[in-house]
Amino acid sequence: MSTETSFIPPVEIEVCSVSKWFGANQVLKQVSTTVRRGEAVVVIGPSGSGKTTLLRCINALEEYQEGEISLAGNAIGYTIEANGRRRRQPEREIAAMRAQVGMVFQNFNLFPHMSVLRNVSLGPIRIRHKDREAAEDIGRQLLDRVGLGQKVDALPGQLSGGQQQRVAIARALAMEPKAMLFDEVTSALDPELVGEVLDVMRQLVQDGMTMMIVTHEMAFARAFAERVVFMADGEVVEQGSPEEIFEAPKAARLQAFLKRFQQGYRL
Amino acid sequence: MDSLIPSLPYLGRGVLMTLYLSAASTALATFVGLVLAMIQLFAWRPVRWAAEILLYLLRGVPLLVLLFAMYYALPYSGFRIEPSTGGIMVIGVYFGAFMAEVFRAAALAVPRGQWEAGRAIGMRTPRIIVDVVLMQALRIAAPPYINTSIMVVKGTSLVAIIGLADVTFIGRQIVERTLAPFEVFGAVALVYLLICYGLSTLGRYAETKANYVH
Amino acid sequence: MSFDIGFALRSVSILSEGLTMTLALAVPAILFSAVWGVPLVVAIRSRRSGLVALTRTYIEIVRNTPVLVQMFFIYFGSGFMGYPISGFVAGLFALVLQNGAYVAEIYRAGIQSVTSRQTEAGLVLGFMPGEVFRIVVMPQALRAVIPPLSNQGVLIIKDTSLVATISVAELTFQARLLADRTAAVFEIFFALALFYIVLTTIFSLLMRLLEVRLRVSN
Repeated sequence: MSTETSFIPPVEIEVCSVSKWFGANQVLKQVSTTVRRGEAVVVIGPSGSGKTTLLRCINALEEYQEGEISLAGNAIGYTIEANGRRRRQPEREIAAMRAQVGMVFQNFNLFPHMSVLRNVSLGPIRIRHKDREAAEDIGRQLLDRVGLGQKVDALPGQLSGGQQQRVAIARALAMEPKAMLFDEVTSALDPELVGEVLDVMRQLVQDGMTMMIVTHEMAFARAFAERVVFMADGEVVEQGSPEEIFEAPKAARLQAFLKRFQQGYRL
Repeated sequence: MDSLIPSLPYLGRGVLMTLYLSAASTALATFVGLVLAMIQLFAWRPVRWAAEILLYLLRGVPLLVLLFAMYYALPYSGFRIEPSTGGIMVIGVYFGAFMAEVFRAAALAVPRGQWEAGRAIGMRTPRIIVDVVLMQALRIAAPPYINTSIMVVKGTSLVAIIGLADVTFIGRQIVERTLAPFEVFGAVALVYLLICYGLSTLGRYAETKANYVH
Repeated sequence: MSFDIGFALRSVSILSEGLTMTLALAVPAILFSAVWGVPLVVAIRSRRSGLVALTRTYIEIVRNTPVLVQMFFIYFGSGFMGYPISGFVAGLFALVLQNGAYVAEIYRAGIQSVTSRQTEAGLVLGFMPGEVFRIVVMPQALRAVIPPLSNQGVLIIKDTSLVATISVAELTFQARLLADRTAAVFEIFFALALFYIVLTTIFSLLMRLLEVRLRVSN
């Protein structure tokens, strides 16, 4: 985490005025934000604020009607043609883009019919065309790194939620992505298992991975985010450093949101 | 085509027979299915085993074989019943085995918590069944019940093979006379289509009502 | 009424002449139905409304009319058209037409049971939709469809009895022939029922074995 150097990392992901409608309902309202290389951006906000939708628009799992998203300067998901019309990119380009942007889901979504090692090594083998040994080596290393070196031959069904999520992170890392998207990855876990996953993510932040994290874990955001984005009702209400957002919130909606978390169960 | 018009009333009688057989067999199958399902759920172990063996045997044998068995055995048995009644009995019992599965699965699909909730306020098993579980089980059972009754309607066509004058049998007779297989069997198919599609539409309506619960 | 075990056993050996015919009909019917279901489910899942409507209509017609009527339609219809086909072929055709439709429904439900989350998990790794289907969805769907396919196969085996009415000399036909000539009907139909129960049991066991094998393999 650099402070005084004049080196500002280039923008890795740029979201430019993205709007999305579900029928008559506008779920994203001209959302704009950036993630620089090596930056860990945390997106917070109440349910229904559009944070997950925004994440899913970035790697084209969701469609959006207006706006542009680019990765390292290249437009992804849609191209603007010469006559100004938007066109969804061909599947092949979108697939290539997704291979560079890792995603971890709330429900882990491991492939139940494959072992842990195969889950992790599948991408490198089939998409990066590495040979099986090399891919499995990478897989073992990554599983070690997330603390599951012992479980390489286990089936997902034999693991706890926290373990499955760590495998999911290893699976995404195996593709050597430029950036990673995390969609409320601890929300489906029992409280005592959340810590082990956050530990892995903290390590990733410190290793300099470019990350966009949607989460409810305020303590994590406060401690490890480099930038925080607060969304509500489909728009970006406020963004800034963790200090700015948590210590000196400006927008009324943000203040109300933070108050709810601070009150907790105290009477 | 015109030569077929005089045959229409004749076909109509077949349709009536098919409707009669379908309704009566479905009614019997429902009754048999309920009894067998109750046995499978609540009876003592040896009785349950006997029922399960019976069900397995019934489901492993073609309906036609049972119909033939009845057809050939009836003269020897000393009972004097109408062939149509015999057909209804066989078809009813045969599909009763399928209905049993429908009812049993529906009863088991009612969440465990419902039973426990009833027990928690002091109800005993029979009361729980009547007040809490029955309606929910019926809602769950409605779509597969309709599907099975559609199977019953199609199954009644087999009585044509043992000479009962349902719409299939009469259709075949007409074809032998008029040599117009496409028109006649097409009409016969249409009759079944209307009955079965009507039932399945009912079933889909029941399914939307069933989802009301959750 | 007494039960003549000896005659029952002799009936078994006489009926076994029909067994080859029953198997000759059931095995291809099962295999072809499993195959015919594939283009049907592809058509149903394609986004082309015309194709979907056409396939749906076909499936609804076939599911709401009795197999027997379909067999008669094909058998007598073919004769009328001047290209008579044997009862065996007509029966096979009708069985595949009917059961292919049911099989397509089974495939559809199996595919749907593999949730969209699994598909997304494959897509975000960078796989093309087709690859995701092959590597992630299909193996899971395959495991899901084995039990209902097993049921369908049992139904097919039982429906082969219907071709007895269009002069195919399979098990039920042989039984009826025998029953017309002797009075020992109980023994004959007991033996006949035994044949079918054994056949369906063996088939179900084989499918169970397949299910277990698939579960173990990776």
